[in-house]
Amino acid sequence: MNERIKGLYKTQILAHSKNPFQEGELEGATHVLQAYNSMCGDKYTLYLKIENDRVEDAYFKGYGCAISKASSSILTKKSIGKSMEELDALVRLFLKIVSAKEEVSPEDLTDEEELLAFSAAREFPEREICATMSWKVVQEELLKE
Amino acid sequence: MVHLNVNKVRKDFPMLATATPQGKSLAYLDNAASTQKPRAVLEAIEGLYTGYYSNVGRGSYWPATRASQAFEYARERLAGFIHAASAKEVVFTAGATDGINKVMQSFLRPKLQPGDNVVISEQEHHANLIPWQQACRAVGAELRVVRLLSTGDLDQEHYDSLLDDRTALVALTAVSNTLGVVNPVKEMVTAAHQHGIRVLIDAAQHVGHSPTDVQAWDADFVVFSGHKMYGPTGIGVLYGKAELLRETPPMAFGGGAIRDVGFQETLFADIPHKHEPGTPNLEGAVGLAAAIEYLQGLGMRQIHEHTEHLTQYAVMRIEGQEGASILGNPKLRAPVVSFTVEGAHPHDIAGFLAEEGIAIRAGHHCTQPLMDQLGVPGTARVSFGMYNVKEEIDLLMDVLKEVHAFFA
Repeated sequence: MNERIKGLYKTQILAHSKNPFQEGELEGATHVLQAYNSMCGDKYTLYLKIENDRVEDAYFKGYGCAISKASSSILTKKSIGKSMEELDALVRLFLKIVSAKEEVSPEDLTDEEELLAFSAAREFPEREICATMSWKVVQEELLKE
Repeated sequence: MVHLNVNKVRKDFPMLATATPQGKSLAYLDNAASTQKPRAVLEAIEGLYTGYYSNVGRGSYWPATRASQAFEYARERLAGFIHAASAKEVVFTAGATDGINKVMQSFLRPKLQPGDNVVISEQEHHANLIPWQQACRAVGAELRVVRLLSTGDLDQEHYDSLLDDRTALVALTAVSNTLGVVNPVKEMVTAAHQHGIRVLIDAAQHVGHSPTDVQAWDADFVVFSGHKMYGPTGIGVLYGKAELLRETPPMAFGGGAIRDVGFQETLFADIPHKHEPGTPNLEGAVGLAAAIEYLQGLGMRQIHEHTEHLTQYAVMRIEGQEGASILGNPKLRAPVVSFTVEGAHPHDIAGFLAEEGIAIRAGHHCTQPLMDQLGVPGTARVSFGMYNVKEEIDLLMDVLKEVHAFFA
Protein backbone atom coordinates (compact mmCIF):
# COMPACT_ATOMS: atom_id res chain seq x y z
CA MET A 1 0.00 0.00 0.00
CA ASN A 2 1.04 3.54 -0.70
CA GLU A 3 4.11 2.63 -2.76
CA ARG A 4 3.42 5.42 -5.25
CA ILE A 5 3.27 8.10 -2.55
CA LYS A 6 6.28 6.65 -0.79
CA GLY A 7 8.14 7.14 -4.07
CA LEU A 8 7.58 10.87 -3.65
CA TYR A 9 9.56 10.80 -0.42
CA LYS A 10 12.93 9.69 -1.70
CA THR A 11 15.64 8.93 0.85
CA GLN A 12 17.28 12.30 0.23
CA ILE A 13 14.01 14.13 0.85
CA LEU A 14 13.29 12.34 4.11
CA ALA A 15 16.86 12.88 5.25
CA HIS A 16 16.77 16.60 4.43
CA SER A 17 13.35 17.09 6.05
CA LYS A 18 14.38 15.38 9.29
CA ASN A 19 17.86 16.91 9.48
CA PRO A 20 17.85 19.93 7.22
CA PHE A 21 21.02 21.71 6.18
CA GLN A 22 21.22 25.46 6.60
CA GLU A 23 18.23 25.73 8.94
CA GLY A 24 18.18 28.90 11.01
CA GLU A 25 18.53 32.64 10.69
CA LEU A 26 21.52 34.32 9.09
CA GLU A 27 22.96 37.39 10.67
CA GLY A 28 24.21 39.84 8.11
CA ALA A 29 21.90 38.55 5.39
CA THR A 30 21.67 40.99 2.50
CA HIS A 31 18.39 39.51 1.25
CA VAL A 32 15.48 38.14 3.32
CA LEU A 33 12.68 36.52 1.31
CA GLN A 34 9.31 35.13 2.37
CA ALA A 35 7.95 31.97 0.75
CA TYR A 36 4.31 31.35 1.56
CA ASN A 37 1.75 28.84 0.35
CA SER A 38 -1.62 30.39 1.13
CA MET A 39 -3.48 27.14 0.42
CA CYS A 40 -1.88 25.22 3.25
CA GLY A 41 -0.14 27.87 5.35
CA ASP A 42 3.41 26.60 4.85
CA LYS A 43 5.86 29.43 5.39
CA TYR A 44 9.62 29.85 5.10
CA THR A 45 11.95 32.77 5.48
CA LEU A 46 15.05 32.58 3.30
CA TYR A 47 18.20 34.44 4.31
CA LEU A 48 20.87 35.08 1.72
CA LYS A 49 24.14 36.91 1.98
CA ILE A 50 25.10 38.05 -1.48
CA GLU A 51 28.39 39.82 -2.02
CA ASN A 52 30.18 40.63 -5.29
CA ASP A 53 27.40 38.93 -7.24
CA ARG A 54 27.93 35.66 -5.39
CA VAL A 55 25.93 33.84 -2.69
CA GLU A 56 28.30 33.78 0.27
CA ASP A 57 25.87 32.09 2.65
CA ALA A 58 22.21 31.00 2.78
CA TYR A 59 19.85 29.78 5.49
CA PHE A 60 16.14 29.11 5.83
CA LYS A 61 13.69 29.01 8.70
CA GLY A 62 10.01 28.15 8.92
CA TYR A 63 7.62 25.24 8.75
CA GLY A 64 5.99 23.10 6.17
CA CYS A 65 5.68 19.56 4.91
CA ALA A 66 8.61 17.21 4.32
CA ILE A 67 8.72 18.10 0.63
CA SER A 68 8.83 21.87 1.10
CA LYS A 69 11.32 21.63 3.96
CA ALA A 70 13.68 19.33 2.08
CA SER A 71 13.46 21.51 -1.02
CA SER A 72 14.29 24.64 1.02
CA SER A 73 17.17 22.79 2.60
CA ILE A 74 18.58 21.72 -0.75
CA LEU A 75 18.02 25.16 -2.26
CA THR A 76 20.01 26.93 0.44
CA LYS A 77 22.71 24.26 0.51
CA LYS A 78 23.22 24.34 -3.25
CA SER A 79 23.06 28.14 -3.52
CA ILE A 80 26.15 28.73 -1.47
CA GLY A 81 29.12 29.70 -3.60
CA LYS A 82 27.05 30.21 -6.75
CA SER A 83 27.22 33.37 -8.81
CA MET A 84 23.86 34.94 -9.59
CA GLU A 85 24.09 33.56 -13.09
CA GLU A 86 24.78 30.06 -11.77
CA LEU A 87 21.96 30.39 -9.24
CA ASP A 88 19.58 31.40 -12.01
CA ALA A 89 20.55 28.31 -14.00
CA LEU A 90 20.13 26.09 -10.94
CA VAL A 91 16.65 27.42 -10.21
CA ARG A 92 15.58 26.99 -13.83
CA LEU A 93 16.92 23.44 -13.82
CA PHE A 94 15.11 22.54 -10.60
CA LEU A 95 11.80 23.95 -11.81
CA LYS A 96 12.11 21.83 -14.97
CA ILE A 97 12.86 18.70 -12.94
CA VAL A 98 9.61 18.98 -10.97
CA SER A 99 7.34 20.34 -13.71
CA ALA A 100 4.76 17.91 -15.10
CA LYS A 101 4.74 20.04 -18.27
CA GLU A 102 8.47 19.50 -18.97
CA GLU A 103 9.01 17.01 -21.75
CA VAL A 104 12.70 16.23 -21.16
CA SER A 105 13.11 13.45 -18.61
CA PRO A 106 14.66 14.47 -15.27
CA GLU A 107 17.58 12.11 -15.80
CA ASP A 108 18.41 13.84 -19.09
CA LEU A 109 18.39 17.20 -17.31
CA THR A 110 20.84 16.38 -14.53
CA ASP A 111 22.58 13.59 -12.69
CA GLU A 112 22.57 15.35 -9.32
CA GLU A 113 20.77 12.98 -6.98
CA GLU A 114 19.57 15.59 -4.54
CA LEU A 115 17.77 17.40 -7.34
CA LEU A 116 16.51 14.24 -9.04
CA ALA A 117 14.96 13.17 -5.73
CA PHE A 118 12.20 15.69 -6.41
CA SER A 119 11.34 14.41 -9.89
CA ALA A 120 8.47 12.29 -8.50
CA ALA A 121 6.66 15.59 -7.96
CA ARG A 122 5.84 15.36 -11.67
CA GLU A 123 3.37 12.62 -10.78
CA PHE A 124 1.85 14.63 -7.93
CA PRO A 125 0.95 17.96 -9.52
CA GLU A 126 -0.83 18.99 -6.29
CA ARG A 127 2.53 18.76 -4.52
CA GLU A 128 4.57 20.68 -7.11
CA ILE A 129 3.98 23.86 -5.12
CA CYS A 130 5.52 22.21 -2.03
CA ALA A 131 8.68 21.46 -4.00
CA THR A 132 8.89 24.86 -5.67
CA MET A 133 7.61 27.47 -3.21
CA SER A 134 11.06 28.53 -1.95
CA TRP A 135 12.70 28.24 -5.38
CA LYS A 136 10.03 30.38 -7.01
CA VAL A 137 10.37 33.20 -4.53
CA VAL A 138 14.12 33.26 -5.24
CA GLN A 139 13.38 33.40 -8.95
CA GLU A 140 10.70 36.06 -8.65
CA GLU A 141 12.33 38.36 -6.14
CA LEU A 142 16.05 37.82 -6.63
CA LEU A 143 16.53 36.82 -10.23
CA LYS A 144 13.75 38.74 -11.94
CA GLU A 145 16.05 41.25 -13.66
CA MET B 1 -35.86 6.12 17.58
CA VAL B 2 -35.30 4.73 14.09
CA HIS B 3 -31.61 4.88 13.17
CA LEU B 4 -30.22 6.38 10.02
CA ASN B 5 -30.02 3.90 7.14
CA VAL B 6 -26.59 5.02 6.01
CA ASN B 7 -26.28 2.52 3.15
CA LYS B 8 -29.45 3.91 1.65
CA VAL B 9 -28.23 7.47 2.26
CA ARG B 10 -24.94 6.78 0.47
CA LYS B 11 -26.79 5.82 -2.70
CA ASP B 12 -28.35 9.29 -2.77
CA PHE B 13 -24.95 10.98 -3.21
CA PRO B 14 -23.49 10.54 -6.71
CA MET B 15 -20.06 11.88 -5.63
CA LEU B 16 -19.61 8.97 -3.23
CA ALA B 17 -19.48 6.60 -6.20
CA THR B 18 -16.48 8.39 -7.72
CA ALA B 19 -12.87 7.24 -7.58
CA THR B 20 -9.47 8.90 -7.67
CA PRO B 21 -7.34 8.79 -10.84
CA GLN B 22 -5.60 5.81 -9.18
CA GLY B 23 -8.93 4.02 -8.87
CA LYS B 24 -9.46 4.42 -5.11
CA SER B 25 -13.03 4.97 -3.93
CA LEU B 26 -13.63 8.36 -2.40
CA ALA B 27 -13.76 8.42 1.41
CA TYR B 28 -14.84 11.99 1.97
CA LEU B 29 -13.88 13.09 5.49
CA ASP B 30 -13.74 16.86 4.94
CA ASN B 31 -17.35 17.74 5.68
CA ALA B 32 -16.49 20.74 7.82
CA ALA B 33 -15.07 22.35 4.67
CA SER B 34 -18.05 21.44 2.51
CA THR B 35 -20.54 18.62 2.08
CA GLN B 36 -21.50 16.53 -0.93
CA LYS B 37 -24.92 16.99 -2.52
CA PRO B 38 -27.77 14.48 -2.58
CA ARG B 39 -29.48 13.79 -5.89
CA ALA B 40 -32.60 15.55 -4.55
CA VAL B 41 -30.73 18.87 -4.59
CA LEU B 42 -29.46 18.35 -8.14
CA GLU B 43 -32.93 17.34 -9.33
CA ALA B 44 -34.53 20.38 -7.71
CA ILE B 45 -32.10 22.68 -9.54
CA GLU B 46 -32.66 20.91 -12.83
CA GLY B 47 -36.41 21.05 -12.19
CA LEU B 48 -36.19 24.83 -11.82
CA TYR B 49 -34.25 25.39 -15.04
CA THR B 50 -36.28 22.94 -17.08
CA GLY B 51 -39.73 23.51 -15.58
CA TYR B 52 -40.45 27.00 -14.27
CA TYR B 53 -37.45 29.33 -14.56
CA SER B 54 -37.77 33.10 -14.71
CA ASN B 55 -36.71 36.08 -12.61
CA VAL B 56 -38.14 36.40 -9.10
CA GLY B 57 -40.53 39.00 -7.69
CA ARG B 58 -40.94 40.91 -10.94
CA GLY B 59 -43.06 39.41 -13.71
CA SER B 60 -46.76 38.65 -13.33
CA TYR B 61 -46.73 36.00 -16.07
CA TRP B 62 -46.26 32.28 -15.86
CA PRO B 63 -43.56 31.08 -15.02
CA ALA B 64 -42.52 34.21 -13.07
CA THR B 65 -45.24 33.65 -10.50
CA ARG B 66 -44.16 30.05 -10.03
CA ALA B 67 -40.47 31.03 -9.66
CA SER B 68 -41.34 33.70 -7.10
CA GLN B 69 -43.40 31.17 -5.15
CA ALA B 70 -40.49 28.72 -5.14
CA PHE B 71 -38.16 31.41 -3.78
CA GLU B 72 -40.52 32.36 -0.95
CA TYR B 73 -41.28 28.71 -0.26
CA ALA B 74 -37.54 28.13 0.23
CA ARG B 75 -37.48 31.00 2.72
CA GLU B 76 -40.33 29.42 4.67
CA ARG B 77 -38.61 26.03 4.73
CA LEU B 78 -35.47 27.71 6.04
CA ALA B 79 -37.41 29.55 8.72
CA GLY B 80 -39.03 26.32 9.85
CA PHE B 81 -35.72 24.48 9.81
CA ILE B 82 -34.03 26.92 12.20
CA HIS B 83 -37.23 27.65 14.16
CA ALA B 84 -37.39 31.34 13.28
CA ALA B 85 -40.54 33.13 14.42
CA SER B 86 -41.25 34.29 10.88
CA ALA B 87 -39.96 33.81 7.33
CA LYS B 88 -39.43 37.60 7.26
CA GLU B 89 -36.45 36.99 9.53
CA VAL B 90 -34.64 34.95 6.88
CA VAL B 91 -32.44 36.99 4.53
CA PHE B 92 -30.72 35.12 1.71
CA THR B 93 -27.01 35.81 1.36
CA ALA B 94 -24.09 34.33 -0.56
CA GLY B 95 -23.00 32.41 2.55
CA ALA B 96 -21.93 32.81 6.18
CA THR B 97 -19.04 35.14 5.30
CA ASP B 98 -21.36 37.41 3.33
CA GLY B 99 -23.86 37.49 6.23
CA ILE B 100 -21.19 38.45 8.76
CA ASN B 101 -19.85 41.20 6.50
CA LYS B 102 -23.35 42.59 6.02
CA VAL B 103 -24.04 42.73 9.75
CA MET B 104 -20.66 44.35 10.28
CA GLN B 105 -21.22 47.01 7.58
CA SER B 106 -24.88 47.84 8.16
CA PHE B 107 -25.61 47.02 11.79
CA LEU B 108 -22.31 47.52 13.62
CA ARG B 109 -20.34 50.17 11.72
CA PRO B 110 -22.92 52.99 11.88
CA LYS B 111 -23.04 52.81 15.67
CA LEU B 112 -19.49 51.70 16.55
CA GLN B 113 -17.62 54.48 18.42
CA PRO B 114 -13.98 54.88 19.45
CA GLY B 115 -13.55 53.15 22.82
CA ASP B 116 -16.31 50.61 22.15
CA ASN B 117 -15.43 46.93 21.97
CA VAL B 118 -16.49 43.82 20.07
CA VAL B 119 -16.15 40.40 21.72
CA ILE B 120 -15.18 37.30 19.74
CA SER B 121 -13.38 34.08 20.75
CA GLU B 122 -10.09 32.34 20.01
CA GLN B 123 -12.05 29.68 18.15
CA GLU B 124 -13.29 31.98 15.40
CA HIS B 125 -12.83 31.17 11.75
CA HIS B 126 -11.17 34.02 9.84
CA ALA B 127 -14.67 34.85 8.52
CA ASN B 128 -15.87 35.72 12.02
CA LEU B 129 -12.65 37.49 12.96
CA ILE B 130 -11.40 39.71 10.14
CA PRO B 131 -14.66 41.70 9.56
CA TRP B 132 -14.79 42.67 13.25
CA GLN B 133 -11.05 43.28 13.43
CA GLN B 134 -11.20 45.62 10.45
CA ALA B 135 -14.25 47.47 11.81
CA CYS B 136 -12.51 47.96 15.16
CA ARG B 137 -9.30 49.15 13.51
CA ALA B 138 -11.18 51.62 11.32
CA VAL B 139 -13.03 53.19 14.25
CA GLY B 140 -10.54 52.87 17.09
CA ALA B 141 -12.57 50.26 18.93
CA GLU B 142 -11.15 47.25 20.76
CA LEU B 143 -11.44 43.64 19.65
CA ARG B 144 -11.67 41.44 22.74
CA VAL B 145 -10.99 37.72 22.42
CA VAL B 146 -12.37 35.05 24.77
CA ARG B 147 -9.65 32.61 25.80
CA LEU B 148 -9.74 28.84 25.51
CA LEU B 149 -9.34 26.42 28.38
CA SER B 150 -6.91 23.55 27.84
CA THR B 151 -9.85 21.37 26.76
CA GLY B 152 -10.61 23.76 23.91
CA ASP B 153 -13.81 24.92 25.63
CA LEU B 154 -14.26 28.67 25.97
CA ASP B 155 -13.31 30.14 29.34
CA GLN B 156 -16.74 31.34 30.50
CA GLU B 157 -15.35 33.39 33.39
CA HIS B 158 -13.07 35.20 30.99
CA TYR B 159 -16.03 35.76 28.65
CA ASP B 160 -18.12 37.29 31.44
CA SER B 161 -15.22 39.57 32.39
CA LEU B 162 -14.98 40.95 28.82
CA LEU B 163 -18.60 42.10 28.59
CA ASP B 164 -19.29 45.68 29.64
CA ASP B 165 -21.43 48.68 28.75
CA ARG B 166 -19.11 49.58 25.85
CA THR B 167 -19.50 46.17 24.17
CA ALA B 168 -21.17 46.88 20.83
CA LEU B 169 -21.59 43.27 19.75
CA VAL B 170 -20.66 39.69 20.61
CA ALA B 171 -19.83 37.45 17.62
CA LEU B 172 -19.32 33.77 18.42
CA THR B 173 -19.15 30.51 16.61
CA ALA B 174 -21.58 27.81 17.71
CA VAL B 175 -19.01 25.12 16.86
CA SER B 176 -15.24 25.39 16.41
CA ASN B 177 -14.45 24.30 12.85
CA THR B 178 -10.93 23.34 13.98
CA LEU B 179 -11.39 21.69 17.38
CA GLY B 180 -14.99 20.53 17.12
CA VAL B 181 -15.96 22.24 20.38
CA VAL B 182 -19.71 22.85 20.74
CA ASN B 183 -20.20 26.10 22.63
CA PRO B 184 -22.99 26.80 25.18
CA VAL B 185 -24.65 29.30 22.85
CA LYS B 186 -27.83 29.87 24.86
CA GLU B 187 -25.92 30.62 28.08
CA MET B 188 -23.49 32.92 26.29
CA VAL B 189 -26.31 34.82 24.58
CA THR B 190 -28.10 35.21 27.92
CA ALA B 191 -24.95 36.59 29.55
CA ALA B 192 -24.59 39.19 26.78
CA HIS B 193 -28.26 40.13 26.90
CA GLN B 194 -27.95 40.89 30.62
CA HIS B 195 -25.74 43.78 29.52
CA GLY B 196 -28.08 44.65 26.65
CA ILE B 197 -25.50 43.42 24.11
CA ARG B 198 -26.59 41.95 20.77
CA VAL B 199 -25.12 38.61 19.68
CA LEU B 200 -24.30 37.17 16.27
CA ILE B 201 -23.85 33.40 16.06
CA ASP B 202 -21.81 31.78 13.29
CA ALA B 203 -23.75 28.53 12.89
CA ALA B 204 -21.99 27.33 9.72
CA GLN B 205 -20.72 24.19 11.48
CA HIS B 206 -23.96 23.61 13.38
CA VAL B 207 -26.99 23.67 11.11
CA GLY B 208 -26.15 20.62 9.01
CA HIS B 209 -25.36 18.38 11.97
CA SER B 210 -27.68 19.17 14.86
CA PRO B 211 -31.21 20.50 15.30
CA THR B 212 -30.96 24.31 15.38
CA ASP B 213 -33.41 26.56 17.22
CA VAL B 214 -32.55 30.24 16.91
CA GLN B 215 -35.36 31.23 19.27
CA ALA B 216 -34.17 28.84 21.97
CA TRP B 217 -30.69 30.38 21.56
CA ASP B 218 -32.35 33.81 21.61
CA ALA B 219 -29.57 34.90 19.21
CA ASP B 220 -30.01 38.28 17.52
CA PHE B 221 -28.28 37.30 14.27
CA VAL B 222 -27.39 33.83 13.01
CA VAL B 223 -25.44 33.12 9.82
CA PHE B 224 -24.74 29.92 7.92
CA SER B 225 -23.88 28.56 4.47
CA GLY B 226 -25.87 26.22 2.25
CA HIS B 227 -22.89 24.26 0.98
CA LYS B 228 -21.98 22.99 4.46
CA MET B 229 -25.48 21.49 4.90
CA TYR B 230 -25.65 19.42 1.71
CA GLY B 231 -27.00 22.35 -0.33
CA PRO B 232 -25.44 24.32 -3.21
CA THR B 233 -22.53 26.74 -3.01
CA GLY B 234 -23.16 30.49 -3.22
CA ILE B 235 -26.25 30.55 -1.01
CA GLY B 236 -26.53 31.18 2.70
CA VAL B 237 -28.79 32.70 5.29
CA LEU B 238 -28.66 35.65 7.61
CA TYR B 239 -31.28 35.21 10.28
CA GLY B 240 -32.06 38.35 12.25
CA LYS B 241 -34.75 39.21 14.76
CA ALA B 242 -37.42 41.16 12.90
CA GLU B 243 -36.99 44.39 14.85
CA LEU B 244 -33.23 44.36 14.22
CA LEU B 245 -33.58 43.67 10.51
CA ARG B 246 -36.10 46.55 10.36
CA GLU B 247 -33.87 49.04 12.17
CA THR B 248 -30.79 48.04 10.14
CA PRO B 249 -30.35 50.11 6.96
CA PRO B 250 -30.42 48.10 3.70
CA MET B 251 -27.34 45.87 3.54
CA ALA B 252 -26.97 46.66 -0.15
CA PHE B 253 -28.86 48.85 -2.61
CA GLY B 254 -30.60 48.13 -5.89
CA GLY B 255 -33.73 46.91 -7.60
CA GLY B 256 -36.38 44.69 -6.10
CA ALA B 257 -35.78 45.96 -2.56
CA ILE B 258 -37.87 49.09 -2.80
CA ARG B 259 -41.40 50.36 -2.42
CA ASP B 260 -41.04 53.76 -4.11
CA VAL B 261 -38.09 55.39 -5.86
CA GLY B 262 -37.47 59.00 -6.87
CA PHE B 263 -34.26 60.61 -8.11
CA GLN B 264 -33.58 62.11 -4.68
CA GLU B 265 -34.97 59.53 -2.30
CA THR B 266 -36.16 55.94 -1.95
CA LEU B 267 -38.71 54.23 0.24
CA PHE B 268 -37.43 50.75 0.90
CA ALA B 269 -39.42 47.53 0.97
CA ASP B 270 -40.21 45.72 4.21
CA ILE B 271 -37.95 42.95 5.49
CA PRO B 272 -36.57 40.66 4.29
CA HIS B 273 -36.66 42.07 0.75
CA LYS B 274 -35.12 45.41 1.65
CA HIS B 275 -31.87 43.53 2.34
CA GLU B 276 -31.96 41.53 -0.90
CA PRO B 277 -31.52 43.91 -3.86
CA GLY B 278 -30.86 42.52 -7.31
CA THR B 279 -31.85 39.23 -8.87
CA PRO B 280 -31.51 36.68 -6.10
CA ASN B 281 -29.80 33.29 -6.18
CA LEU B 282 -32.97 31.37 -7.00
CA GLU B 283 -31.08 28.23 -7.96
CA GLY B 284 -29.29 28.31 -4.60
CA ALA B 285 -32.51 28.86 -2.66
CA VAL B 286 -34.36 26.07 -4.48
CA GLY B 287 -31.40 23.71 -4.00
CA LEU B 288 -31.08 24.60 -0.33
CA ALA B 289 -34.80 24.04 0.26
CA ALA B 290 -34.41 20.59 -1.32
CA ALA B 291 -31.45 19.88 0.97
CA ILE B 292 -33.53 20.82 4.01
CA GLU B 293 -36.40 18.61 2.91
CA TYR B 294 -33.93 15.79 2.47
CA LEU B 295 -32.43 16.38 5.94
CA GLN B 296 -35.84 16.62 7.56
CA GLY B 297 -36.95 13.46 5.77
CA LEU B 298 -34.09 11.57 7.42
CA GLY B 299 -34.41 13.43 10.72
CA MET B 300 -31.83 15.81 12.18
CA ARG B 301 -31.75 13.79 15.42
CA GLN B 302 -30.96 10.63 13.48
CA ILE B 303 -28.23 12.40 11.52
CA HIS B 304 -26.79 13.84 14.73
CA GLU B 305 -26.79 10.43 16.40
CA HIS B 306 -25.03 8.82 13.44
CA THR B 307 -22.22 11.35 13.18
CA GLU B 308 -21.84 11.40 16.96
CA HIS B 309 -21.19 7.65 17.00
CA LEU B 310 -18.68 7.99 14.18
CA THR B 311 -16.93 10.80 16.03
CA GLN B 312 -16.69 8.82 19.27
CA TYR B 313 -15.27 5.89 17.33
CA ALA B 314 -12.74 8.10 15.53
CA VAL B 315 -11.63 9.74 18.79
CA MET B 316 -11.12 6.32 20.37
CA ARG B 317 -9.14 4.98 17.40
CA ILE B 318 -6.93 8.07 16.98
CA GLU B 319 -6.21 8.17 20.71
CA GLY B 320 -5.13 4.52 20.45
CA GLN B 321 -2.67 5.21 17.61
CA GLU B 322 0.94 5.51 18.70
CA GLY B 323 2.33 8.96 17.97
CA ALA B 324 -1.08 10.54 17.27
CA SER B 325 -2.54 13.28 19.47
CA ILE B 326 -5.95 14.90 19.33
CA LEU B 327 -6.16 18.65 19.92
CA GLY B 328 -8.80 19.57 22.49
CA ASN B 329 -10.98 17.46 24.71
CA PRO B 330 -14.22 19.44 24.88
CA LYS B 331 -17.31 18.66 26.93
CA LEU B 332 -19.37 18.44 23.76
CA ARG B 333 -17.85 17.60 20.39
CA ALA B 334 -19.25 18.16 16.91
CA PRO B 335 -18.20 15.67 14.20
CA VAL B 336 -14.78 17.35 13.87
CA VAL B 337 -11.47 15.93 15.14
CA SER B 338 -8.11 17.70 14.70
CA PHE B 339 -4.96 15.72 15.32
CA THR B 340 -1.23 15.55 14.72
CA VAL B 341 1.05 12.58 14.10
CA GLU B 342 4.53 12.70 15.56
CA GLY B 343 7.20 13.31 12.92
CA ALA B 344 4.70 13.88 10.10
CA HIS B 345 3.63 17.31 8.92
CA PRO B 346 -0.17 17.56 8.39
CA HIS B 347 0.28 17.90 4.62
CA ASP B 348 2.36 14.76 4.47
CA ILE B 349 -0.41 12.98 6.37
CA ALA B 350 -3.03 14.35 3.98
CA GLY B 351 -0.87 13.33 1.00
CA PHE B 352 -0.67 9.73 2.16
CA LEU B 353 -4.40 9.64 2.85
CA ALA B 354 -5.24 11.20 -0.52
CA GLU B 355 -3.34 8.40 -2.20
CA GLU B 356 -5.86 5.95 -0.69
CA GLY B 357 -8.83 8.12 -1.70
CA ILE B 358 -9.32 9.58 1.78
CA ALA B 359 -10.04 13.31 1.69
CA ILE B 360 -9.13 15.23 4.84
CA ARG B 361 -8.07 18.79 5.53
CA ALA B 362 -4.55 19.72 6.56
CA GLY B 363 -3.36 23.15 7.57
CA HIS B 364 -4.59 26.02 9.67
CA HIS B 365 -8.30 25.62 8.77
CA CYS B 366 -8.70 29.40 8.38
CA THR B 367 -7.92 29.75 12.09
CA GLN B 368 -4.31 30.97 12.12
CA PRO B 369 -4.50 32.84 15.45
CA LEU B 370 -5.93 29.69 17.07
CA MET B 371 -3.03 27.63 15.68
CA ASP B 372 -0.64 30.16 17.21
CA GLN B 373 -2.40 29.78 20.57
CA LEU B 374 -2.19 25.99 20.35
CA GLY B 375 1.48 26.24 19.39
CA VAL B 376 1.16 24.16 16.21
CA PRO B 377 1.62 25.29 12.60
CA GLY B 378 -1.34 23.23 11.50
CA THR B 379 -3.27 20.04 12.11
CA ALA B 380 -4.82 17.21 10.18
CA ARG B 381 -8.60 17.33 10.52
CA VAL B 382 -11.29 14.76 9.85
CA SER B 383 -14.94 15.81 9.87
CA PHE B 384 -17.91 13.56 9.32
CA GLY B 385 -21.16 13.84 7.44
CA MET B 386 -24.29 11.74 7.43
CA TYR B 387 -22.97 9.42 4.71
CA ASN B 388 -19.73 8.42 6.40
CA VAL B 389 -19.22 4.91 7.76
CA LYS B 390 -17.01 3.18 10.31
CA GLU B 391 -15.09 1.37 7.56
CA GLU B 392 -13.79 4.74 6.33
CA ILE B 393 -12.37 5.42 9.79
CA ASP B 394 -10.76 1.97 9.82
CA LEU B 395 -9.15 2.75 6.46
CA LEU B 396 -8.01 6.12 7.84
CA MET B 397 -6.37 4.38 10.77
CA ASP B 398 -4.59 1.83 8.55
CA VAL B 399 -2.96 4.69 6.67
CA LEU B 400 -2.19 6.71 9.82
CA LYS B 401 -0.38 3.71 11.23
CA GLU B 402 1.69 3.55 8.08
CA VAL B 403 2.32 7.31 8.14
CA HIS B 404 3.61 7.04 11.69
CA ALA B 405 5.91 4.15 10.79
CA PHE B 406 7.20 5.96 7.69
CA PHE B 407 7.96 9.33 9.26
CA ALA B 408 8.85 8.33 12.83
